[in-house]
Amino acid sequence: MKKEFIARLVIILFLGIAILIPVAGRQFFPIFSKDKLVEIHARMPENGGWSPAIIKAAVGQPIHLRLISDDVLHSFAISQSDQPPLDLPPGEVVDTTLIFNQPGRYTFYCTRWCGVNHWRMRGIIEVSGPGQTTDKQPEPLYLRLNLDLDAPHLASVIPEKQPSAERGAQFANLLPVYATDPYTYQTNSPTQLWQQLRTEANLRELSDADLWDVVAYIWQNHTTPQKVAQGANLFSTNCAACHGETGRGDGVMFANLPAMNPQDKKHGLTRPPDFTNQQVLLGASPAILEGKIIRGGMGTGMPYWGPIFRDDQIDDLVSYIYTFVLQPPD
Amino acid sequence: MCNPKHTRSQENIVEYIQPWQLVIVIALMGVFIPLPRPAEKSTDRNIRIEASRFNYSPSELYVNPGDKVTIELVSNDVTHGFSLDSYGLNLTAVPGQTARVTFVADHPGAFRWRCTVTCGNMHPFMIGKLQVGPNLLLWRAITLGTLAVAAVFWSVHK
Amino acid sequence: MTRLNLARYPWIKSLLLSRWPQFLTHAVLLAGFIFTILVGLLGPVVGSHNFAVIFVWIAWWSALKLFFIPLGGRSWCSICPIPVPGEWLQRGGILKSTGQGWGLGKRWPKFLRGNWIQSGVFLLIGLFSAVILTSARITALVLLGVILLSLVLSLFYERRAFCRYICPIGGFTGLYALAAPLEVRSKYPSVCAGEAGKIHYAACPWGINPLALKANTNCGLCMECLRVCPNDNFAVNLRPFGSDLGPQTKLHLDETFLGLVMLSSVLVDAAIFLGPWGALKSAAYTIGSIPWLVFTTVFLGISLTVIPGLYALAIWTGQQLSKSQIPFRKALAQQGQVLIPLGLMAWIAFTISFAFTKFSYVLPVLSDPVGLGWNLLALGKPAWTVDTNLIYLILKAAALVGGLLWSSRVALRLADGTNPHKQSLPTIGFCMLFTLVMLWLLIG
Repeated sequence: MKKEFIARLVIILFLGIAILIPVAGRQFFPIFSKDKLVEIHARMPENGGWSPAIIKAAVGQPIHLRLISDDVLHSFAISQSDQPPLDLPPGEVVDTTLIFNQPGRYTFYCTRWCGVNHWRMRGIIEVSGPGQTTDKQPEPLYLRLNLDLDAPHLASVIPEKQPSAERGAQFANLLPVYATDPYTYQTNSPTQLWQQLRTEANLRELSDADLWDVVAYIWQNHTTPQKVAQGANLFSTNCAACHGETGRGDGVMFANLPAMNPQDKKHGLTRPPDFTNQQVLLGASPAILEGKIIRGGMGTGMPYWGPIFRDDQIDDLVSYIYTFVLQPPD
Repeated sequence: MCNPKHTRSQENIVEYIQPWQLVIVIALMGVFIPLPRPAEKSTDRNIRIEASRFNYSPSELYVNPGDKVTIELVSNDVTHGFSLDSYGLNLTAVPGQTARVTFVADHPGAFRWRCTVTCGNMHPFMIGKLQVGPNLLLWRAITLGTLAVAAVFWSVHK
Repeated sequence: MTRLNLARYPWIKSLLLSRWPQFLTHAVLLAGFIFTILVGLLGPVVGSHNFAVIFVWIAWWSALKLFFIPLGGRSWCSICPIPVPGEWLQRGGILKSTGQGWGLGKRWPKFLRGNWIQSGVFLLIGLFSAVILTSARITALVLLGVILLSLVLSLFYERRAFCRYICPIGGFTGLYALAAPLEVRSKYPSVCAGEAGKIHYAACPWGINPLALKANTNCGLCMECLRVCPNDNFAVNLRPFGSDLGPQTKLHLDETFLGLVMLSSVLVDAAIFLGPWGALKSAAYTIGSIPWLVFTTVFLGISLTVIPGLYALAIWTGQQLSKSQIPFRKALAQQGQVLIPLGLMAWIAFTISFAFTKFSYVLPVLSDPVGLGWNLLALGKPAWTVDTNLIYLILKAAALVGGLLWSSRVALRLADGTNPHKQSLPTIGFCMLFTLVMLWLLIG
């Protein structure tokens, strides 16, 4: 019957369209592009992290990334770059194009906390080709000086009351040259500098508290409010989940662990240290803090941020961290 | 023994008022009569809500009408959101970054709040409940239901 | 008996008699079904952004509960694509039967008849609902399994065996169809009795005798009897709501049990999906864990003992109060009609609660159905969200109270003892308790 034939044709046509769209649609796109197209699925690290996690490309080749989050809100950022991170709302397709002009290994990472293993969510883009590889950052200070990052650094002397950088400024003209030297700042903890200044003849008349004000002033001088604000931003996005928004180590990720007692030499897994505790921070030099941020891995779950942050970003972070003890928020 | 004369006059009254008319009147009364609101002093409240997959803690809140409520939303694992029905409030909290909002609880009743950032499979059902004052709608509905049943009882004669 | 025969309007009649409109609807829906399965398997993993999850559990479910069932009874069954491939094979033709069909055409075993399997399947889906409703892959597998099962059954058994005895949707749709305002009935049964009657019985894919049809439970509104009748003896009637509910319809125990399963399911689903209790949601979601086993026990306990137990207690008390002569088992079955408007309105209220807040997912998923980043509807960000306010709370309350009112009327109508008020009071009390709990869950 002719009608039956038409009916069968209609069915084949409709089913054909229904099958073609989902199946062929996925294969369609890459055929027409000479550029590299990579579909990256983002999942919580417990479920696989980035897949794929390694992308190979050539210098100058546009890399079209199709980013899809499969579970929670992630975001995509390239390490040590100023490009703002791309939020990846789950289920939505986010397209972006990257072009690298210099060969090297670039890390891409997630910047929205997606669980306790969020910081492990990293991948590599290997860019090969002619040209000079990206400038490697100079070796961090703690390596050059062979500092022991894991040695305890409890401050032996701490101020009795809150130091004030404004009060310390009035003694600026009494300071020896080395006091304001950047190298001194980098390699000495506040306590160590205070102890050195305590032996200075010029400053003999200053009280202990005054001297702490001076140290606070010196610390403030090695940064700017803008850098501190940028550090605050970095801390809030990357650190506060574990270290707490107030730096007390009471971040949500480790809220169920016992608090860390700085006197304890041996302890199991605890919360991060309380940065508002003067004993903890005043005994650490900027070089030590920088090293800990870069290397992580103190057997505590602290991530290593070396591949992710530039030196100036770590500097911002360090200057912000000191404000927990030397210049608490109003 | 029932009195035939008495029954007939009862029937007359019943004929005047149709059961369905009475039902409507009682229903309208039950639904619309405004009840006097007990005068409670409005206070300032500060509530910290912890969000994890797929639960808010606390998930049921009770405030008085007129209270000035500050909600602090803290995410414990991944990014969560908070959107309160009827108040048009919307918060998003990433772990490590508490979100805050202050509002006056001027709409009375029971409202659900929901998560607005997809946080996993059960995300569409991540719900909490805010009750502002007594839940008058619930009481009215219960009253209406009871009256409806009574009306049905009366209207069906065999 | 107020009935309006829609088939007496010529344009409606030709629409129903011609095979093409129904065929085209089947073709589109079948293609859509296959598309949904493929998108569920290949598309976005995130359920709320997958066409399969949104269209099956939000769009289609809402349409089913808010339009197809309340207004048309088993009207979805007339266009459902699931039995269609099997039926084509059985008939040997797509448009109509060629007489050269495939299939063994066996009769469905007697011991498997009734609504017991359908109740069981519905409970099973309820146990896994937290995962099924939120996972695109699982939804697709369920749909695939269902259409394959229907196909295989069609090759062994006669007619629409899957639809009649296995499909959980068909189970409760048939039950609620008793309250719906649409029916297909013969106009004058005596006209086509005897030999002519056999044509209708042979043509009906639901295995009922259309001439003898008195209640909507098993009629899938497929219109085959209309097409086959040489005497134009069939009418498609608009009728008052609840016309099949009354002493004239005899309900069986399995149908009553299904009605009870629907009540417990809506209670548990409202608690899990719409309540503020995160522990319950996690327990329902983490299948295989201890909390899930506890949840399973509680769910089955409520569905198999608490709700049926309370119902049986109500019936028994009513019988004691009115000294009814009817055997207890028969009264249990008969009074099950009370559960129909109660369940229908409760599911409407639940669907309003469940789906209205998620309608905002429909447009984005239409705009990018396969999850490739398309923007077919040129939607800007963000998509509109339904601001749920007083209207929707009132709708839910109205539905629940309306259901209570309706089921009370049915209870009184069914009471056959010497004192109908006393007899129906415990049953109405059961309905009031159920309505109270639903009100508290949905608007409390």
